[in-house]
Amino acid sequence: MNSHTELEKAEAEALAFFAATDRSDPPLFKQVIRPHRSLPIRGFVWIIGITCIGFLIPLLAFIGSKVLWGLLIPSCSTLFALWYFIQRSYRDGEITEIITLWPDLLAIHRVNPKGRDQYWQANPHWVQFHIKDTTKIEGYLTLTGGNREIELGAFLTPAQRLDLRRQLEKAIRLG
Amino acid sequence: MADAATHDHARPGFFTRWFMSTNHKDIGILYLFVAGALGFVSVCFTVYMRLELMEPGVQYMCMENLDKVANAAALAAGECTPNGHLWNVLITGHGILMMFFVVIPALFGGFGNYFMPLMIGAPDMAFPRMNNLSFWMYFTGATLAVLSIITPGGNDQMGSGVGWVLYAPLSTREGGMSMDFAIFAVHVSGASSILGAINMITTFLNMRAPGMTLHKVPLFAWSIFVTAFLILLSLPVLAGAITMLLTDRNFGTTFFDPAGGGDPILYQHLLWFFGHPEVYMIIVPGFGIVSHIISTFSRKPIFGYLPMVYAMVAIGALGFVVWAHHMYTVGMSLTQQSYFMLATMVIAVPTGIKIFSWIATMWGGSIEMKTPMLWAFGFLFLFTVGGVTGIVLSQAGVDRAYHDTYYVVAHFHYVMSLGAVFCIFAGIYYWFAKMSGRQYPEWAGKLHFWMMFIGANVTFFPQHFLGRQGMPRRYIDYPEQFAYWNEISSYGAFLSFASFVFFIGIVFYSLIWGKKETNPAYWGEHADTLEWTLSNPPPEHTFEILPKQSEWDKNPH
Repeated sequence: MNSHTELEKAEAEALAFFAATDRSDPPLFKQVIRPHRSLPIRGFVWIIGITCIGFLIPLLAFIGSKVLWGLLIPSCSTLFALWYFIQRSYRDGEITEIITLWPDLLAIHRVNPKGRDQYWQANPHWVQFHIKDTTKIEGYLTLTGGNREIELGAFLTPAQRLDLRRQLEKAIRLG
Repeated sequence: MADAATHDHARPGFFTRWFMSTNHKDIGILYLFVAGALGFVSVCFTVYMRLELMEPGVQYMCMENLDKVANAAALAAGECTPNGHLWNVLITGHGILMMFFVVIPALFGGFGNYFMPLMIGAPDMAFPRMNNLSFWMYFTGATLAVLSIITPGGNDQMGSGVGWVLYAPLSTREGGMSMDFAIFAVHVSGASSILGAINMITTFLNMRAPGMTLHKVPLFAWSIFVTAFLILLSLPVLAGAITMLLTDRNFGTTFFDPAGGGDPILYQHLLWFFGHPEVYMIIVPGFGIVSHIISTFSRKPIFGYLPMVYAMVAIGALGFVVWAHHMYTVGMSLTQQSYFMLATMVIAVPTGIKIFSWIATMWGGSIEMKTPMLWAFGFLFLFTVGGVTGIVLSQAGVDRAYHDTYYVVAHFHYVMSLGAVFCIFAGIYYWFAKMSGRQYPEWAGKLHFWMMFIGANVTFFPQHFLGRQGMPRRYIDYPEQFAYWNEISSYGAFLSFASFVFFIGIVFYSLIWGKKETNPAYWGEHADTLEWTLSNPPPEHTFEILPKQSEWDKNPH
């Protein structure tokens, strides 16, 4: 019941968002931000390959012996853990925030790798930026002025976040 | 965009900050302090041991001390029955703590966590919560290791005296539960290290800032990456080996027992397949730290960046194919011994590249002998001495004479106690103000260095002579012919210990009363990695509350 109304609310929010942003005039400012991932997929293949070879050195000596099992279990678990966590890191990096600014509308669309998309819109006139240092994030950037307070670029480095705020504030001021 | 986490308090409480930390800097600090505390325990063991070895005969580790009430008469008469078990427990505890719980956690867990993400421009580690888990597993492992010293063990006494290598059959036959605690300690800390290594590898590979290509990454970050890979590849082998040890002890398997078709030499191979990369895990992060320090205080960029990187990679790779040089005397074929001898000597090539590149970095530079540079200099000289005795020991023939003598003890303490530990101190003095915001008194850092430098050399250099005289390691007593250099060695150990106590004083003095350092790049422009662009300490720790009106209204005129 509760989740049903939440779903409806989210759907209404999405519809309102698309209705508001479906306009022909070009935006003053548009930026897509994602966490940076520096390992190309070929690099991933190399890393797993090197790790396999590294594990084979001690394992080869024990083929046909029961000692093999004692070494195979921890080696394979480590290999799979490495595989899983690098993939997990790629997946965590799929989070995207699309920021679009018109003279009378600041629209932010967040694509979550797990979970549904989120939408937020506000009149730039009322938007305020807040920066504070928290336990988890240094220079945590939040925006007020819409129907709720939101975070922006929490996955960026503190310097990139400050830079983003500067750019966005400048664009709003000039707009 | 998620809704803002508006309930996140700006200033975390003590418990939240230090016990539930997901911040790589705080976790790095935790590693440094816990490693320091365990280092103190481990160093206290050595002082006790050097006290005992100062004179021939057994003076302090007496059976009579086990029950002072029952043996009051014997003690009063000055009788002393040597307690070899206590001695063995102390060497084992010293080895296990230093190898697993002090040096690697300080360099890899401490400095690695704190500075590697900063240097590559990553927002944090790839998996901040797993980072917290790694630290607390390390803490658990360390607790188990300390417990193993004080739980019932062999010879109806406390603790296990089997040596840090836990060789079977000694370890499989040691009585009591202490040995199982030690095995679990290594298990848990091994799991912690593997998780930590995966975190470091993922961070290093996948979280670098745009434009930070692999060939631009600072040397310290590279050294942490190489170390992480060594951990990843070798610790599973150790985990397998000690698991088999555990089942041999408790479940009647015979992996290492010839009576059931097993082979105790197999355990040695497995242990050293891990153990040799382990010594490189200890020293490689030190290479990284020293590279930055030498470059900073010579006011020159590091000489030969790429050879430096690939020398570290080569040292890491070669570390996996030389393990049996620790066991020349177990009865390998001549061909096997020749191979391991040659492979071992090849390691001198990348190591030489590093040493000469450091010298070339200093060449023509404007060298400033500040405290971190003194430690780096000390490292360079002493690590070279240890490296040279390493070449001597790598000769299978010569090793027949030196195996298990004090020559070996002198060799590995020169590379680790004087090599890796000097790197830890160098790193602490180099980054102290960056991490704490306060600077240590320069004279105190220098005095600490000279005390430690003289103390450690006086301790370990005479041990070469003892080894050449044929004094075996791991014994509580020795014939009086060895007395002269043992006494001198003990004086050195006491001086080193005094310097360590002095260092603890410096740390707490500087943390509380040290001069505030506000210049982010306080060592000058040649300290050019990214952490020097951040404030001291990096922001969230210095977060300052604006004074509230209630505070300035408190004292009305």
